[in-house]
Amino acid sequence: MSVLGVVLFSIAFFATAVIGQVDPARVAAGLPNIIDYAYRTLPEISARQPFTDIAEWFWAIDIWLLLILDSVLMGFIGTLAGAGAAIAFCFHASANLAPNRLSFWIARRGFELARTVPELVFALIFVFAFGPGPFAGVLAIAIHSAGALGKLFAEVNENVDPRQIEALAATGAGWSETMRFAVLPQVLPNFLSYGLLRFEINVRAASVLGIVGAGGIGEELYLVVRRFLYSDISAIVLLIVITVSLIDIVCERFRHALIEAGPARPTR
Amino acid sequence: MLELIGLTRRFGSVTAVDHVSLSIPNGQMVGIIGRSGAGKSTLLRLINRLIDPTAGRIVFAGQDITALKGKALRDWRTNCAMIFQQFNLVQRLDVLTNVLMGLLNHRSTLLSLFKLFSAEERALAIRTLDRFDLAGAALQRADTLSGGQQQRVAIARALMQKPRLLLADEPIASLDPRNGKVVMDALRKINREDGLTVLCNLHTLDTARHYCDRIVAMRAGQVVFDGVPAHLTASMVRDIYGMSEEELDQAETVTSTAIASVASPLAA
Amino acid sequence: MISESELAALRAAHPRVFRRTAAERRKLALAWACFCGGVALGLWRILPPWEAFVAGLTKLGFLVGFMIPPTHGGHLGQMLHGLGETLAMAFLGTLFAAVAAVPLGFLGARNVLPVRPLHFGLRRLFDGLRGIDSLIWAIVFVAAVGMGPFAGILALAVPDAGTLAKLFAEAIENVEKRQVEGIEAAGANGLERARFGILPQVLPVLLSHVLYFFESNTRSASILGVVGAGGIGLQLAERIRLDDWQEVAFIILLILVTVAVIDLVSGWLRRRVIAA
Repeated sequence: MSVLGVVLFSIAFFATAVIGQVDPARVAAGLPNIIDYAYRTLPEISARQPFTDIAEWFWAIDIWLLLILDSVLMGFIGTLAGAGAAIAFCFHASANLAPNRLSFWIARRGFELARTVPELVFALIFVFAFGPGPFAGVLAIAIHSAGALGKLFAEVNENVDPRQIEALAATGAGWSETMRFAVLPQVLPNFLSYGLLRFEINVRAASVLGIVGAGGIGEELYLVVRRFLYSDISAIVLLIVITVSLIDIVCERFRHALIEAGPARPTR
Repeated sequence: MLELIGLTRRFGSVTAVDHVSLSIPNGQMVGIIGRSGAGKSTLLRLINRLIDPTAGRIVFAGQDITALKGKALRDWRTNCAMIFQQFNLVQRLDVLTNVLMGLLNHRSTLLSLFKLFSAEERALAIRTLDRFDLAGAALQRADTLSGGQQQRVAIARALMQKPRLLLADEPIASLDPRNGKVVMDALRKINREDGLTVLCNLHTLDTARHYCDRIVAMRAGQVVFDGVPAHLTASMVRDIYGMSEEELDQAETVTSTAIASVASPLAA
Repeated sequence: MISESELAALRAAHPRVFRRTAAERRKLALAWACFCGGVALGLWRILPPWEAFVAGLTKLGFLVGFMIPPTHGGHLGQMLHGLGETLAMAFLGTLFAAVAAVPLGFLGARNVLPVRPLHFGLRRLFDGLRGIDSLIWAIVFVAAVGMGPFAGILALAVPDAGTLAKLFAEAIENVEKRQVEGIEAAGANGLERARFGILPQVLPVLLSHVLYFFESNTRSASILGVVGAGGIGLQLAERIRLDDWQEVAFIILLILVTVAVIDLVSGWLRRRVIAA
C-alpha cells in the first residue's frame, strides 16, 4: 500500500485509541477481572452428584425456556410481519417494476429509513410508547426486517425475466396481477431463502432486545447480570447459544433445500 | 376491421416503423415478412400498445385505440392477444395456471391474487388445451415442456382471452421445423375455425407463402409490398431481403429456422 | 360457455385439475395448521391488551410530533464526542478482531494444521464467540473493565474475532494448492509457507470481509452505549429517559448520516480492494 495509506491509517489508529480510551494499563488491570468474571460464572459441578448440581445450575429452567420461547416467537412474528411489508412494497421499490416515480421514491426511502435506524433504537422508543414487553420488541424487529428484506427483495426483482412480464401485460392483466403471476413465481424461492436468513438474525436480536425492556430472555439476562448471579449468567447464555445454533442449523437445511430445488433463473 | 393510419415509431434517431398504413379485414391471415430489424416486431407491439406510437393512429372496428388508458387499454390488450418468439410462459407455474392467465382481465383481482379459479374456468382451460393435445400436461410446470408444446400453451392462453385479433411475433423462429409446422398449423386452425384475424411476423418466406392469405413486406420500417403471395415476384424478394430467394433458402437452412422441408410436400 | 354435461365429463377425465387429491389436501391442511398455530401462539404471547395498544399508538403519535423540529439543544459538542467514540469503537473493535482472527483463522483451517481435534475445537470456539451477541459481551465487559468505550471495543472485537476467524479459515481452505506447493518446493518452512503461499491469495477476501464488518460495527457501536459501553447510544438512551424528543430525533439523524457516510466510504474501498 502507499505511504499515504499508512500515514492515514496510523493517524486513525492513534486518534481512535485516544478517543476510545484504550489504555494498556487498563487492559492489564482488566484482564484478571475478565478472567475472574468468567471463572465465577462457571457452575460448581462435583463428581459426587453431578446431576443434582446441573439441576441446581439450571434451577429456573422452566421460566428461562418460556422466555426463550418468547424470544423465538418474537423473531418469528417479527420476521413474518417484516417480510409481509417487504413483499407488499418491494415491487414499488424496483426500478423495472414500479408503476410510477413517486411510489418508487417513497418505497425506496421508506426501506432505507427502516433499515438504517438500529433495531435497539426502535425498541427504546416503542418501549417508551407501549410500555415494557415483547410487543415493543416485535415491532422493532418487524420494522428493521421490513427495511432490510425490502432492499434485498427489490434487488432480486430487478433481475427477473422481463419477457414473462411483457406476456402478462399483453393479456390485459393489471399491475398487481402481473406482479403476482409473472414476477412472484420467479422470485419466491429467493425471497424465502432471504426470509429464513433474516429469521436466524432476528432470533439473535430478540434474545437481547429484553435488555431495554422489550421482552424475551434478554430482560432476565440483564437482571441476573446486574444482581451478580454468576452461575445464572452462564446458564442463560448457554441456553441462548444452544437455541440460536439449533435454529441456524434447521434454517440452513431449509435454505440448502431451496437452493437445490432450482434457481429462479429463466431456463433460456 | 383493423386500420393503421400513418403509424410511426422512433427510437431516438432511428425510425423503427415509418408511416405504416394498412387496413386488415376480419378473419384474414396476414404474414409480415422482412429482414430482422425491418420493424416487424415493433409494428406488432404498437398494435398491442406494449409501446406507444410517435405518430399515426390505430383504429379497430371504428374505435380509436391510439390513446386508450387504464381499463380501456387493458380491455384492448385482451382483445388482441399476443404470441411471442420465446413463448414467454411463466416458467415456474404449471401449464393450467399459465392458460388461466388469459382470463385475468375478465375477473376479480382479489380472487386472482389468491389463485382462486372456478371449476368452469378450469374446464374452459382444459378444453382449450385439449384442442392442441395438451390437456394431459395441464399440471406440469411450464419449463418441463418442449418449445413446441410451450408455444401451443401460449396459443391456448391467447385463446382464453377470447380475442378478436391474434398477433404472433416470430412464433416459430425458436422451434425446429417439425414443431414449427405444428404451431403454424395451430395458428391456421384458429384462423379458420374461430374466424380470428391473425397477424404473424415470419422470418421465412416459404412459411408465409404457404400459410398466409396476404403478405405484407417491410423494409427499414416501411411497407414495400402488400398483396397475395402469388404477386410476390423474385425481383421483389431481392428488393426486400437484398438477396434472391435461392440464396435466402440457403441462409435459412444454415440458421435452421425454415420449415420448408416439412411444409413444401404439403404445399405441392 | 360450457354445458353441465361437458363440465362433468372434463371433471371425470381430469380430476386433479379441479380438486387436489386427498393426500395433497391432508398435507396442505397440516402445513397451514402448523403455520397458523405458530402465528396464533406468537400473537397470544406478544400482543398487548387492546387499550394498551391504542394508548401506545396515541403516545407514539405524540412522540413523533414532539420530535419536530430536531435540535441539538446546545449539546452538539457532547453529541459529536459521542459520535467520535462510536466511530473509534467500530474502528478499533474491527481492527482488533481482524488482528486476532488472522492467526486464529490459520490455525482453524484444515489445510494448515491437519490435526482433527484441534481443528474441531477451534471451530466450536469460533461458533461460541459469535453465538453471543455483542450487546451481551458489552454487559460482561462493562462489569469487568468498567463503563466507557473500551468495554465497547472489546464487546465488538470478541464476537467478530470468532466470525472473522471462521470466514478466514474457510477462505484459506479454498486457496489454490499449486502456489503453496511451489513455495514448499523452494524449501520454505511452515511459517514461510503461510506468509508467502497462502496470505497473498486470501488477503483481498479478508480485507473485503473486514471492511464489511467495519460498516456493520458502526451500526452496532451506535447502540452499545445503552448498556454503558460508550458511544452515542448512551446519550440516546438518556434523552429518551428524559423525554427530550427533539434531541432524540437529532441524535437519530446524526446516526443515520454517519452510517450512510461510512457505508459509502467502505463500499468504495471494498470495490477497490476487489478490483486490485
